[in-house]
Amino acid sequence: MVTAPSAVNDACGSELAGTADSQRAINNEAELLECLRAGDESCYEVLVRRLGPKVLATAKRYLRSEADAADCFQDTFLAVFESINKFEQRSSLSTWIRGITINQCLMRIRKQARRQEQSIEHMLPIFDEHGDRIEAASPRQTSEISRSLDTQQMRGIVREMIGRLPDDYRLVLLLRDIDGYTTKETAAILGININAVKTRLHRARSALKYLLEPALEHAI
Amino acid sequence: MIDYLDGDLPVWQKFMCWLHVKACRECAYFIQQYRRTIALGQDAFDSPDDAVPVSVPEDLIEAAIAHRKAKN
Repeated sequence: MVTAPSAVNDACGSELAGTADSQRAINNEAELLECLRAGDESCYEVLVRRLGPKVLATAKRYLRSEADAADCFQDTFLAVFESINKFEQRSSLSTWIRGITINQCLMRIRKQARRQEQSIEHMLPIFDEHGDRIEAASPRQTSEISRSLDTQQMRGIVREMIGRLPDDYRLVLLLRDIDGYTTKETAAILGININAVKTRLHRARSALKYLLEPALEHAI
Repeated sequence: MIDYLDGDLPVWQKFMCWLHVKACRECAYFIQQYRRTIALGQDAFDSPDDAVPVSVPEDLIEAAIAHRKAKN
């Protein structure tokens, strides 16, 4: 939704700028927060429309299906409204909501997770006893890439390759490298220790690097 | 590797790693490609071309609002 710019508190993102549309005029995060805490239903709609795109983008990043992302979208906003009075304003409202979105995604993934540990071995390069890499059969794309790739195409391939990583490794990569959580925060979110985060992150990056090598040869 | 790239190694260890990377062409190349992979991952989800955010289908917005009202 394209919104007209208006005076916006520096503490909030541009997505909370007021509009002259039929929605109640909310000019900044403080007003929206006050309105939500008062239980004003019209403000709930404002919140959903303004921050919905980012919530959905985050859900799609973590979840593998559109249907799951849509369900997560609804659950996130429900959770936001139910816990809005607990928001302590240590961060911006959008950052807090992003955290809720990610937690909702992780809860959904945990429910769906298979019991056995997911292996990433087949996505990692193999080395011989001398430390030289062996070019074995791998899930990497090779023959499909026969033309130069522009930046947009490259992004699509990177996203696809990240999507191929097993969840245990993909989630660490998303939390650390994409959403910018620290190692300690990532460990807390996932309920694993810091060393496990570092190991999984390194293996996820190594696998991604290996998966992307054929594409990088053709990147412009 | 994680600690080295995040700058979390003790000073002397960081210096030794840096020294080795300076002298070892293969390790320097590996780290360069490793860093490139990280940058590609970040760029894939956060680029100027994504300035127009994901559009949320209207029925999804209405469903979220209805879901909230149903819960109430």
